[in-house]
Amino acid sequence: MNAQAMWLNPWISGFSFAESVPQWLLTACGLVLIYCLVIVPSGAVMGYLERKLSADFQARVGPNRAGPAGVLQPVADLLKLLQKQASRDWNWREAIWLLVHTMALYSTVAVIPLGSLLLLVDTDMSAFLPFWSALVLALGTMFLGLSQGSVPGWFGGIRVAAQALAGAFPALIALLCAGIRAGGFRWSEIAAAQSSSPLLWTAAANPFQFIAFFVFVISGLVLLGIPPMDAAFSAPDIHGGVSSHLSGRKLTVFRLGRFYGFLLWSVIAVVLFLGGWELPFGLSTELRNADSPRLLQIFELCWLLSKTFLLVLVVTWIAKVNPRSRVDQVTDFAWRVLSPFSLVALIGASLVAGWGAL
Amino acid sequence: MMRGSVFSTILGYLRDVLWGIRSVWGSCLTAIPYLFGSGELSKEVTEQYPDPISSKIADDLPPRSRGFLVNDIERCTGCKECERQCPVQCICVEAEPATDDTKIWVSVFDIDFSKCVFCGICAEVCQPASLKHTKNFEGAVYELPELVASFGRGWVTPEQRLKWAKLRQQIEDDRVIL
Repeated sequence: MNAQAMWLNPWISGFSFAESVPQWLLTACGLVLIYCLVIVPSGAVMGYLERKLSADFQARVGPNRAGPAGVLQPVADLLKLLQKQASRDWNWREAIWLLVHTMALYSTVAVIPLGSLLLLVDTDMSAFLPFWSALVLALGTMFLGLSQGSVPGWFGGIRVAAQALAGAFPALIALLCAGIRAGGFRWSEIAAAQSSSPLLWTAAANPFQFIAFFVFVISGLVLLGIPPMDAAFSAPDIHGGVSSHLSGRKLTVFRLGRFYGFLLWSVIAVVLFLGGWELPFGLSTELRNADSPRLLQIFELCWLLSKTFLLVLVVTWIAKVNPRSRVDQVTDFAWRVLSPFSLVALIGASLVAGWGAL
Repeated sequence: MMRGSVFSTILGYLRDVLWGIRSVWGSCLTAIPYLFGSGELSKEVTEQYPDPISSKIADDLPPRSRGFLVNDIERCTGCKECERQCPVQCICVEAEPATDDTKIWVSVFDIDFSKCVFCGICAEVCQPASLKHTKNFEGAVYELPELVASFGRGWVTPEQRLKWAKLRQQIEDDRVIL
């Protein structure tokens, strides 16, 4: 696969084993490395930021024991969760959850766009792949809820299914809006249609794209059950729902998967609507001309992740100051507000695109 | 504009969406000062108890609203019907014979408002209509025993009983003389 070679060669050409090791093995190792070096640390950083942010909103102090200002709190939490004794043995249904979750996770890592050189899958339909992966993540979460054999688990599983179905439709339509403007669903096309200037981002292109951006982000919250749309995981009424019986290592995996879904969705939203990885001040072009792909890749990754973090923080901000929505209100909102608005955005975006073509 | 017309429905829908956006945005704005540590920590964010908009004072309550019970002990006959009818046994009545056989001394009339469900049956069955609901509903206290309201006259002392016996004797004597 040519894309693989393009993606990996700048990174591994300095090592002599690159010639003798098969491509699929390098790709698999690359996925694990991306997961361990990008996504897990992002989860730790975002978890810390979220806790500090919500503490500020609620006039509390937040984590302040582990390390200076509590920055080591995620590490401490991880170590604590890893050494906790399992409360129950694995049952085969939970194994299904883990299987589906892991498959969804790693297949999504392969299609997640993390920079102009870090595009493993850049096909005509690549923008749809993370979307369906998010649906598979929701499916795995539903299986987990149903496997608990308890009322909170059943309710959580049903709510996950209802929210995923309700959120999928407007999310898909909003994705189409971005594709219409870019003229395709290739990551490289979508990135090329925008630039570093916020005025040329898809979200700012016209009011319809702006609506589409909002609809995309909010329907992602609905689809993946992220606060404040997390009725499937709510503690007060269904005792944590899907995750009510999880503890220790299982809870770690579950939380990471949940954060991963959120991060994935935010990365896609940034790439589709907020300019993606294009560096400001034409730095991308300069670095490309200077033939320093590693530097370019690192800068692009950091730039993309900082935009993503900003988006995640804004969503967290909204989630922390608004109450959790009831599940029927969430699905109602998705079907009756998000869907019509996404359709309006689609029609408008099509008209604007057609006008431009005339 | 016609009620229920298509346009009014759409307008109402858009107004609802706008209201939702403004509500979310407003709560986000409220939180910003707290993010930078300049939030007013002593400011009351919650609604105050006698909330000026929605809450009622006693005079605003509907005429048949049932607040705390009050017993007019002068009219009470000590028939204990309220005690019998009370579904939660929160009324305790003790009555003794007084000066003559036609009179009753209600020595204990306790209502435990920590048990009372304010059903109003006692006030309904009260023949002399001495037991009534007030409109007072604010009864927060620090100790449970403070919720017991006592309307009784107190136990009859031996001296009192002696006095009554003398009185009765005197009346009897007067009647004989006449």
